[in-house]
Amino acid sequence: MKANDKSIAVERDILAPASPLYPDQLQPVQGQDSVISARHLTKKFGDEIAVQDVSFEVPRASIFGFIGPSGSGKTTTVRLLTGVYTPTDGEVLVLGHNPVTFSHNERARLGYMPQLFVLYPNLTVWENLNFAASLYGMGIFRGKRLKDALKFVELFEHRGKLARNISGGMLRRLSLAATLVHDPQLLFLDEPTAGIDPVLRRKFWDHFRELKDQGSTIFITTQYVSEADNCDMVGVQSNGKLLLVDTPKGIRHHAYGGDMVDFHTTEPFDFQAEANLRALPFVLSKTVRTGDNSMRIIVDQASTATPKLMDWANQQNIKVKAVEEYMPPFEDVFVELVRPEVNRG
Amino acid sequence: MGNFFRSIIRASSFMRKEIFEILRQPRLIATLVLGPFLILFIFGIGYRDQKPSVRTLFVVPPKSAISAQDIQKYGKAMGSLITFTGVTADLNVALDQLHKGQVDLIIEEPGDAVTTIKNNHQAIFTLYHHEIDPVQVSYVNYLGWLYVGAVNQQVLYAFAVQGQKDAVTLHANLQEAHQNVSDTRQAVQSGDQALAQQNQLKLAGNVDAISLAAGISLGLLDSLQPANATSTGNVDPVQATLADLRQNTSQAGNSTDTKDVRLARLDKIDQDITSLEGKLTEFQSISPAILVSPFLSQTKSEANVQPTLLDFFIPAVLALLLQHVAVTFAALSIVRERNVGTMELFTVSPLSAAEALFGKYLSYMLFGGVIAAILSALLVYILHVPMLGNWWYFALVIAAVLFTSLGIGFAISIISQTDSQAVQYSMIILLASVFFSGFILGLDKLLPAVRVISWMLPTTYGTILLRDIALRGVDPNWWFLGGLIAIGLILMLISWQLMRRLIASSQ
Repeated sequence: MKANDKSIAVERDILAPASPLYPDQLQPVQGQDSVISARHLTKKFGDEIAVQDVSFEVPRASIFGFIGPSGSGKTTTVRLLTGVYTPTDGEVLVLGHNPVTFSHNERARLGYMPQLFVLYPNLTVWENLNFAASLYGMGIFRGKRLKDALKFVELFEHRGKLARNISGGMLRRLSLAATLVHDPQLLFLDEPTAGIDPVLRRKFWDHFRELKDQGSTIFITTQYVSEADNCDMVGVQSNGKLLLVDTPKGIRHHAYGGDMVDFHTTEPFDFQAEANLRALPFVLSKTVRTGDNSMRIIVDQASTATPKLMDWANQQNIKVKAVEEYMPPFEDVFVELVRPEVNRG
Repeated sequence: MGNFFRSIIRASSFMRKEIFEILRQPRLIATLVLGPFLILFIFGIGYRDQKPSVRTLFVVPPKSAISAQDIQKYGKAMGSLITFTGVTADLNVALDQLHKGQVDLIIEEPGDAVTTIKNNHQAIFTLYHHEIDPVQVSYVNYLGWLYVGAVNQQVLYAFAVQGQKDAVTLHANLQEAHQNVSDTRQAVQSGDQALAQQNQLKLAGNVDAISLAAGISLGLLDSLQPANATSTGNVDPVQATLADLRQNTSQAGNSTDTKDVRLARLDKIDQDITSLEGKLTEFQSISPAILVSPFLSQTKSEANVQPTLLDFFIPAVLALLLQHVAVTFAALSIVRERNVGTMELFTVSPLSAAEALFGKYLSYMLFGGVIAAILSALLVYILHVPMLGNWWYFALVIAAVLFTSLGIGFAISIISQTDSQAVQYSMIILLASVFFSGFILGLDKLLPAVRVISWMLPTTYGTILLRDIALRGVDPNWWFLGGLIAIGLILMLISWQLMRRLIASSQ
């Protein structure tokens, strides 16, 4: 699926629903828009429940981030989606088929990067990549493709080194190259950026977005919560349960009960002004002083609240220095989201 | 690009991967090639193709009829099989030496052999040893059997020598008998009945003496007559002559017979005596050693070559080594994929079980084939192990052994959960091969039911077929070769099914 594929036309607003999607509110996506469709997916190992009643849809040509603390069931979910595990309950369709019964041609459209390095320590970087390319039946004239993949992960200079002699980060890069080398349409990446330096991580994400723009669909798990901002849709998983699925913005909104806006004035706020501000109908919850001349407030929609705030300030003869939407770090958002679940656990 | 071509690419990726991984371990390759060669080389140099001489102490009780000199003489008759360390009268002293390891064997002479034999019992030599090795115990029993045989032979030798000495007296009796016949003939011809009677009585007395002496001496000769002479009911020639002689002698005194009849009878008696003289001369001319041990064996092989013990074992070692290498490599192969996690990658990828197995089979067949080729060349051209047969047949058998062994290895690998489990199963296969494949013990030593295990092991087929080709120079037994390949095919199908379940099915 390349740039000229019609699915590229999927608009961002399709991926950004006005209100957060809770798993039990999800409706099946119609037609081929949904590349992955999981319905009430449950996986048990004996009495232990690894994944419980998980439902979500992954639209075509999107990046779906799966975020959760360690042991929350992310890898199990990836294995359920790739056919490594059979669900105990529920159903999953990937590319319109049950992954357990995938044909060879359907498998050839997937790329899978497991969480751990699973290639061969006694082979060189080049040989490992060559092996991975062969697994997907790439033709004998694949040298350029291998070279490009290695250059992308900055391993081409190290192509003659044995895998056992390179660092953990380089192994992750090699795994990623092995996953991408056959140009898959649907990528399952289980923590691909773990152990990668920030500069290269940024490069990876740029490439993922490039792949998405070319029509690929990426299902990605990550422990770097901040990376959720790079995704079109994010699922937050904790204790085997999918807490919610939404756009990054929607998830922030949900975590704090609305959008956050920083209100900066030229003179200090007095208590009366603060009380008046709190009483405004579009201000949803308590305000927080972030300085003598600044206040952080939560509103239903930052875009509509900003002009209203300006109007209110004029009426109150308050000189405004700036009104801007505040984007809290995703780490804070994530903690806010999983805290109730962790406390219950 | 077609699916078939993609399958070839996937299978070849496994082949390439396995070969690269092996080539990254040069020490392993050197060990696999040079290790067995050096072992066989040193064994060939160091192996002594002779029985060790057993240090033997003899115990001769005070009442023994066998003297110390005789003991030493009997011991020497054993040649280099035993080393004579001395004679003692005290069994306890001898046993003490045995327990201290100063001697290997004690042979205690029977206390009163003469009385025992007179009482119609065999006198017993008792052998004491300190061996725990069943093979050595059998050797000691064999030595005892040889020693008693040597003693018995020496006793018979003494009898034969005495018989030949006695034959001198017998000769005199026969000469006298000739004279008696001549005197009797003259008396009969002259019609002197009384003198004839008198000479006939003298003749009868000599014939009785001859019968007694000749029966013992010449009986030895009779025992060498062809077996069918007695089995068909014929009487022994010497005994028949003696019986004839006695009968004619007793009838020679019959005065009612006509003169002619009596003379004819005397002629017959004379002929029998002459015949006995001839046999007696013959008996005296034969060495006593030949008389008591008239037969020897000699072996003539119809085989094209007479291999040494090393030559004989090398095909079995080669078969066993290749089987073990193939089983171990294959056994570790898949279990490692599973433990490293690549199996998860295979499950998600379009790889099929057949492609993975085919690639692995090819790589290990190639690797095993190269090892076998180098090792065989070293054995034939450096150790000069005979290679009488066709090299292509030899290679075919090697390939079949490798193929079937890989099937065993892959089956082990798929059912094993860890490396150590796979190695343990491989070692069990090796142990079973050492005991059941005819490597040490011949298959005929095993019960038919147990031989079923033997015929499930590639080494059994490999040993027989490689020996036939290399040492006999004959074509392989096609039934055996077919059986070996059939087992390999069955194992391949089993491995394929297990691998399919491993790759295709999810947990």
